[in-house]
Amino acid sequence: MIVRTGLTGPFPRSEALVAATRDLDRGRTSAEAVEELFGRTEDEVVALERRLGFDGTTGGHLRWPDLFRPIAETWEGFTVGPLTRWLETNTFYRQPILLAPPGRVPGAFSARLPPSSLASPGSARVVLPGPYSFSVMLDNRSGETEPALIHRLGRLLGDEVRELRSRGFATFLFSEPQLAVRPPEGPRAEAVVAGYRAVQSALQGGTSIVWTYGADAAPAFPLLDRLPVSVVGVDLAETEVDQIPESATHLGLGLGVVDPRTTLEEDPGEVARVVRAAYARRRPNAVWLGPGAPLDLLPWEPATRKLHVLPAVQRALSEGSP
Amino acid sequence: MTRPLFPTQEIGSLAKPRWQLLGQRSEPLDEAAKAELASWDAQVGFAAEAPEVRDALLGGRPRDAGPDAVRDLGALFGLRYLETVGLDRVYDGEARRIEMYEYPIRQMRGFRFGGHVRSFDNKYYLKAAVTDEVRLDRPYHVDEFDFVRRHARAEPKLPITGPYTLADWSYNEYYLARQPGWKGRVARRAAQKEFVVDIARRAIRPTLSALIEHGCRVIQIDEPAAGTHPDEAAIVVDGFNAATEGLDAEFTMHICFSNYADLLPTLLEAKRCTQWAWEFANRDTAGHDGYAVLKTLAEYGDHREVGLGAVDVHRDPVETPEVVAERIGRAARYLGDPRRIWVNPDCGLRTRSLSVARAKLVSVVQGAALARAEFENPRR
Repeated sequence: MIVRTGLTGPFPRSEALVAATRDLDRGRTSAEAVEELFGRTEDEVVALERRLGFDGTTGGHLRWPDLFRPIAETWEGFTVGPLTRWLETNTFYRQPILLAPPGRVPGAFSARLPPSSLASPGSARVVLPGPYSFSVMLDNRSGETEPALIHRLGRLLGDEVRELRSRGFATFLFSEPQLAVRPPEGPRAEAVVAGYRAVQSALQGGTSIVWTYGADAAPAFPLLDRLPVSVVGVDLAETEVDQIPESATHLGLGLGVVDPRTTLEEDPGEVARVVRAAYARRRPNAVWLGPGAPLDLLPWEPATRKLHVLPAVQRALSEGSP
Repeated sequence: MTRPLFPTQEIGSLAKPRWQLLGQRSEPLDEAAKAELASWDAQVGFAAEAPEVRDALLGGRPRDAGPDAVRDLGALFGLRYLETVGLDRVYDGEARRIEMYEYPIRQMRGFRFGGHVRSFDNKYYLKAAVTDEVRLDRPYHVDEFDFVRRHARAEPKLPITGPYTLADWSYNEYYLARQPGWKGRVARRAAQKEFVVDIARRAIRPTLSALIEHGCRVIQIDEPAAGTHPDEAAIVVDGFNAATEGLDAEFTMHICFSNYADLLPTLLEAKRCTQWAWEFANRDTAGHDGYAVLKTLAEYGDHREVGLGAVDVHRDPVETPEVVAERIGRAARYLGDPRRIWVNPDCGLRTRSLSVARAKLVSVVQGAALARAEFENPRR
């Protein structure tokens, strides 16, 4: 069994960053000092990702206020709207408001990514909003139909992927909670497939991962299996292993085995058992392990502690694998 | 107690006046804070009840008063602010509280705070993990209520964070670890139920019991997290029932910014809940009837009171009394019984300035009066 590991969403800010950004808002420190701390903390996250043997470094996307803002603030057609609950959590995002069909500004989004995540050429990973979840979670006042918007967002994200590939990014993880929360049907489902086809055509040998969470993803598998991507991931805190369809797949299987809703550390042996069970149901070309949902639902310390479970599971699997 | 038709009440916290914040920190009041104190004193008349504290603050000697006395004055201000609007049921604007999670959790054992979680942007909150069985150090909010009871001229009501919200806003470590096998959805749900019921039985119920012994007759159990996971409505109910079991008082349940229909009919199993105090006005827009869910409540045959959110707490424009009266009338038609309606803001008004909040509360009182006149003397 080939096992790969890595982050599946933004990492929490350190306590020092929490204090510094609060101070910044209160006028007690300078933007330069906070920038410098962001840079140092991103380096720390990259070092952690390397130390844990992850397949790809992200730097944690610590500067991002939420998943959508780096896009909503750099693409044309958007303004930033009201605070909106982030799925079934006690955290919030500012809902992007789309006033006109969106347009991409070359170079603007990639400038939001930490250079440190590129320290290992060929293994940099970036988290992007998936076109379907993006379309569902924004306020669409552009006049464009939802299927057309999903497809357009897929094409634009494909253009971002193309640019990021040229800068050295290798793995693109699309955060798609809504594929599990509100699985699309009919024209919306077809638009999701078309959107990811546009992404795939821009990959140039890179890896695309669609990561679902927020609800049981089992009902979404008929669509997930059709997506032209490298890996499809599910959150095992939401999706029961025995509900994953029992059919071989050409895709990699992503398994969210670290639960950011609890500080309780997972037992590597128990995780390995569940991973083997999931593997047996799908026989994927590789298993990609990570946090089930973005780890920034936890504070820095428990998030760091829990990430150590991933290499432990990897070891357990290699020791006992058939 | 004889109450008018459409009695009025507050729901939660008010913004803290600047003079209180500075005074609590023993910092001298600046001119703006002094003017604020004088202005509100002229409007609601509270400072004369603690002249030595007022004089210390206005005289630039906050240390002479001390933070506790300043908080007392803040509570007096909150009471008089709400009473002079004409509300029938009041509290102190939660003048001594700065949030609704960390303080109650710190009165309990079994929790460990492990760092900050981002709420949004650069805003964070401390979130605790339950790492052992929940135990209560000592009942809380009791001194706070005693002060209100001694000074209130209107009927006092105490708000307290409910067991489901305290659990939902914490990490469940201890109870989840006790679940055998994989910690998937089924295990998480079972662990959450245990956690909620333990907080309810071991911490909230003894606190409610102590409050009742101190004369508290109306207790608002705040469950803002109730709508976060609609499929856990049964756990919200289990927590409410466990917290109030065998206790003799009026218990209301405040929920806001949730899709109530998703919680029905499960929520109706909250046995000792006498009133649903919900937010409605925020969702009552030109294209959407924010009160329509009351029809569903009526269809289920529920006969409890409704604390009707009639003004939005998230926007500054002040609803007119006529708008409030129309909303009351609409709700009464949907429920089929006007006598079950209390009128209040959607939620606590702490996000509005004290001036805007007061104007909204005035609309609540005047709107209720208009609706009352309409129902008692209908135009032919």
